[in-house]
Amino acid sequence: MFRILKKSLKTGVVTGQHPQAIQPSSEPLAPEVRKKASAFNRSLTIREVDTGSCNACEMEMNALTNPVYDIERFGIHIAASPRHADALVVTGPVTVNMEKALKDVHRQTPDPKLVIALGDCAINCGLFKGSYAVTGPVDRLIPVDIRIPGCPPRPADILKALTDIQERP
Amino acid sequence: MTDVPSIAQQLQTAFPVLAPASPSGNGMVQYRLDQAQLPEIARHLHHQLHGRLALLFSVDGRPFEETHELHYLFAFGTGQPWILLTSKLAGQNRLFTSITPSIHAAQWYEREIRDLFGLIPQGHPDLRRLVRHEHWPKGTHPLEKTVPWNTVMERQQGEYRFRHIEGEGVFEVPVGPIHAGIIEAGHFRFSVAGEPIMQLEVRHFWKHRGIEKLFEQQRLTAAVPLAERVSGDTTVGHSLAYCQAVETLLGIDVPRRARYLRSLLLELERLHNHLGDVGGICNDTAYALPHAHCGRMKERLMQLNDRLTGSRFLRGVMCAGGVTRDVSAGQIDDTVNEVNRIEADFSELESIIVANASLTDRLEATGVLTKRTAWDHGVMGVVGRASGIDQDVRRDRPFAAYDELPVNVALYRYGDVRARMRVRMDEIHESIRLIREIRRTIPTGPIAGEPAHQPQQGEWALSAVEGWRGEILYVVIAGENGQIHRCKVRDPSFANWPAIQWAVIGNIIPDFPLINKSFNLSYAGNDL
Repeated sequence: MFRILKKSLKTGVVTGQHPQAIQPSSEPLAPEVRKKASAFNRSLTIREVDTGSCNACEMEMNALTNPVYDIERFGIHIAASPRHADALVVTGPVTVNMEKALKDVHRQTPDPKLVIALGDCAINCGLFKGSYAVTGPVDRLIPVDIRIPGCPPRPADILKALTDIQERP
Repeated sequence: MTDVPSIAQQLQTAFPVLAPASPSGNGMVQYRLDQAQLPEIARHLHHQLHGRLALLFSVDGRPFEETHELHYLFAFGTGQPWILLTSKLAGQNRLFTSITPSIHAAQWYEREIRDLFGLIPQGHPDLRRLVRHEHWPKGTHPLEKTVPWNTVMERQQGEYRFRHIEGEGVFEVPVGPIHAGIIEAGHFRFSVAGEPIMQLEVRHFWKHRGIEKLFEQQRLTAAVPLAERVSGDTTVGHSLAYCQAVETLLGIDVPRRARYLRSLLLELERLHNHLGDVGGICNDTAYALPHAHCGRMKERLMQLNDRLTGSRFLRGVMCAGGVTRDVSAGQIDDTVNEVNRIEADFSELESIIVANASLTDRLEATGVLTKRTAWDHGVMGVVGRASGIDQDVRRDRPFAAYDELPVNVALYRYGDVRARMRVRMDEIHESIRLIREIRRTIPTGPIAGEPAHQPQQGEWALSAVEGWRGEILYVVIAGENGQIHRCKVRDPSFANWPAIQWAVIGNIIPDFPLINKSFNLSYAGNDL
């Protein structure tokens, strides 16, 4: 018990100890997207969908939940089901095998919803462009509202893009 | 060493008709066999000589030759060469004899070959589709040279037939392909009566991106970025394995400094992944404190990677011939100081973790993978070492700088979740020791070598790397004018996934995420 307390006291607060987002993380939000996003105000629940990424984007999404980035302090939660989600975060170039699952998930997410394409693969298929097993990018199959480029984007960039959504118009 | 006859000699004693094919070199002995002999010799290698089936792959010889070749690669202990059995299917012949009935580890390989090449393993007990899901049209085999790389096929109706258990009170729980956490896509089908799992069937390949075909469109020296993206968390492992194979083909002598830097990067990758896994295992027992601490330490390592190379995943550093950027003495000092701080930090956390009786109670005897089952599946890496399979490429077939940096291999035999966590904890300390050792001994000099010659068409090279999950294998075959004719990628996950189906039996469904996390296999590296 004392060991645990000592460890916690010694460690202190680490939240925010990360380099700032360097690049403008995504293009400015379109007015209609901003209008749609305003419904979520300061509480945004996201569901992450992997459609064939190399799993680096997943690792960076997971990093957002660690104490350093602590995404929950911005009112952003990660839901276990698309039915609980306000926004879908889609990674990967959309493989032939995942095409149907992606469409299903999009249908199951209640309106209004945002679709965020995370990483170069989701935006333009990246290195997997043209492959016989890839039918993406994401916006070929479902409408995309926000794009966060990078291979993979740094957590600070993802955080900035997600908190931008919450800015009032 | 001289007293004991080598595996090749033992094999030739048992089968006097065998003669090794033309100079095999490279720590490998190749035998060309016809289909009739092959199953018997493969069985002998596996059962009598204790060879592990490390890889089974097929090569479409077109447009140069109207043949398909099947290659069976067996691995033995330290200091023994690989044994490669090769058999040729000429012309229109599409049937080969399955070795799965006697060598269980071949089951997914043979199904994969059937899906991707259309060659049929006769006598295979399970001929359902593996890579191509049911909606792929019949008779389409994408790795055949006649199939274009860039045409998406039409969809057809079809249904995958899961194995069913029937009886009173037995029901099925489907999970995936989209999971509750932020993890990759895969499907698990549990059959349960009450809580204990009676059967688990893993159905993967949702993320099949056609990587092996994409390699064939690239030049040998230009495909490193693709190798880095086979499995993002193993960026260094995969790119290093690919580069080594290409360097063999191009006759590049990698300078010593580059080999040390490669070891440094590989250990950094191992470190951040193992830290994440220890935290993940604790988190799946709802023990959030170590998860938070591990997440924090992992983040510090990722930021260190970023400072060192400009990429949190160490991307863009590996190249055929060496590494693309040097690391200054100051940066190496910075790295060692940071990992030293993390070691002290982690040691404190470790004593908190192992002192927690309720955590130990949850981890012990959960998800036991016996040595026998692990061996039958050819399981490797962290999972294998937790089940008593003493195998580590860094020690058995030293690559990069490991011939000068001896590695202490962590080995446990219980095969439960706790053993897998202990292997990772030990390897964290070992990696940090190796990084310190690298600072002490790293030589100065150039960081990349030049190609000595261009490979002949059809020349090929095998390369093995101990990534943080286990043994990564690449076979690269040169085509015309520096193109790639075939690149076979084998992530350790491909061999380890089927074994998880046995590790969960008798456990309760709520323990499955924990067991799965303790394996922590790659979906992307498996699906390709």
